[in-house]
Amino acid sequence: MAGSKTILFVEDDKPISEMYARVLEREGYTVDFAYNGTDGLNLATNKAYDLILLDIMMPEMNGIEVLRRLRGDDGHGHTETKIVILTNLAQDKTSQEALKAQADGYIIKADIVPSQLAGLISELI
Amino acid sequence: MQRTRFKRQILALFFIVSLIPALTVAAIWYLDAQVGGSGRYELDIKTFVLPIFILGIGPALLLSLAFAELLARPVRRIHAAALELARGNYKTHFQTGGAGEFKEIGAALDRVAGQLERTISETASETALIEAERNKLRGVLNSMTDGVFALDRGGRIILFNKAASEITGRSIEEVAGQLAEKVMPFRDGGELVMARWLATQGGVDHQIGQWRGLELYRADGASLYVDVQAVVLSQDPNGINALVTFHDLTKSHQLEEMKIDFVALAAHELRTPLTEIKGYLDILQHEAKGLKAADKRLLDRTMESATQLSGLVNNLLNVARIEHGEINYQPLTVDFLAFIEEFSRSVEWRFKDEGRTLKLSLPARLPLIVGDPNGLREVMTNLIDNALAHTQPKLGIVTIAVRAHRTEIEVSLSDNGSGMPASALPRLFTKFYRIDEYKATTRGTGLGLYISKSIIEAHGGEIWAESVEGMGSTFSFRLPIPKIAPKLKPSNNKAKDTRGAHGWIKDNTVR
Repeated sequence: MAGSKTILFVEDDKPISEMYARVLEREGYTVDFAYNGTDGLNLATNKAYDLILLDIMMPEMNGIEVLRRLRGDDGHGHTETKIVILTNLAQDKTSQEALKAQADGYIIKADIVPSQLAGLISELI
Repeated sequence: MQRTRFKRQILALFFIVSLIPALTVAAIWYLDAQVGGSGRYELDIKTFVLPIFILGIGPALLLSLAFAELLARPVRRIHAAALELARGNYKTHFQTGGAGEFKEIGAALDRVAGQLERTISETASETALIEAERNKLRGVLNSMTDGVFALDRGGRIILFNKAASEITGRSIEEVAGQLAEKVMPFRDGGELVMARWLATQGGVDHQIGQWRGLELYRADGASLYVDVQAVVLSQDPNGINALVTFHDLTKSHQLEEMKIDFVALAAHELRTPLTEIKGYLDILQHEAKGLKAADKRLLDRTMESATQLSGLVNNLLNVARIEHGEINYQPLTVDFLAFIEEFSRSVEWRFKDEGRTLKLSLPARLPLIVGDPNGLREVMTNLIDNALAHTQPKLGIVTIAVRAHRTEIEVSLSDNGSGMPASALPRLFTKFYRIDEYKATTRGTGLGLYISKSIIEAHGGEIWAESVEGMGSTFSFRLPIPKIAPKLKPSNNKAKDTRGAHGWIKDNTVR
């Protein structure tokens, strides 16, 4: 149903990545992984993705920073790519920062199970 | 006594002696007058009388001088003592040692001086006592960390302690005699509210006014948060009409912020393992093949518990945010009818699961309101959670009714469950409150209704509960209808629910 849509999953916690990957791949998505912000940014600049899932707390560069770099100063870079923050940080200020930096969504991992995430993604891309 | 008598005898002797020349002269003159007619006793004044007179008058003069001295000495002593007394030497003795009246006068004056001395030393010790008390009071006032000031009947400052001066950044000299509302400006005119309150409370003794979390402007333009308390003292003999204390909240604000950060961090740490527990349970639920129905139920229950745990983490975080006044509801135009229909569809499976019934009683039309759909969904979910927990499988009926009044819409959620004892109602919406009778049979954190109340109040509404034990409960809330009808933007209600208080997904079509 999702065809060969591609997702970049930027997450430093490997077990979490694997867990989501299992469900996303089951749903037919192609998933690339990056385990820190810098790698994520490099992958995203070199390849076009339909969706980028970004964790926030990561070594080297945090997810909000990756988001800002991708969207550019004017907030209009990578307009074709949906970018969703997938984090367990629930402070309003980080959520608002993400909104300001043109994220397409802000999802609390613990509030959602992988099959629900897959459902949301299918509506988004 | 002996001495006094002796002095008195000497005085009498002198007196008699001094009378001799006078008597002699008088006798001669008398005799001379008697014999003047016959001439027998004719005497020559020049040869006889004058010498006698001169001889007599000398001692008399001396005697009277001595006598005068005798009289003057006690008077002089009294005079000197009086001068001493005037100089402030109250120990002066008036004891003149004179005779008769002088002695009595002296003694009387001594008594007066003694009395005076006692009175004055008593007054001095009382003054010292008062001074000590005043210093003590000043010490207490100035060592207080709370600002204290007193106002007279005209609302002018007549007392201002050190903390008040430090908190406001204004010296005592600067504010003394000034109108409180002139030198203590608050944000949004809080000082005027207080002044008006004090004016209306005039004469109502010991009336207490409290204002929490006011923003006070310091003299340097910076601002800080204070709690203020005022007490009316209309009967005070010292002319104090009101005593105002204010407590600097800056430190507790900082602590509060630390608490929020700590709770947020703890929540984050708890969420990471929870994500995996729920995630793998979800994978198992979807992928495990050939599970028996009983095993599947075990999985479902584990998932339920994990979901409850993540709900608890969210609630704890929410409470911390509510208490800090940090919760931001995003006001959007809400078509409440559409909202409630969508909501009931999303919870329908929870009713069907154990054979309970969900009924809707909705009007044909409803004015649009302004609210945060996520917040309102949280309220509805909390109320549904309670209704499900307190109704029996197969028998439970829950009715959601919506009505429009002139200025507000009213939403009520009634169940035919176990109801609540009347004693539970007043505390129902307080933090961590759980009804004793149900602690053993139902789960919960005691936070849901507290959070719901905060959300409804943030919307300018109110929430309440009615219940008959054994018959069921009704939870209701009202939300105001905006005076100017809001317009529904196409993107408003399309924000996808991530079933969390904090997550969001932007509308797919608008960007």
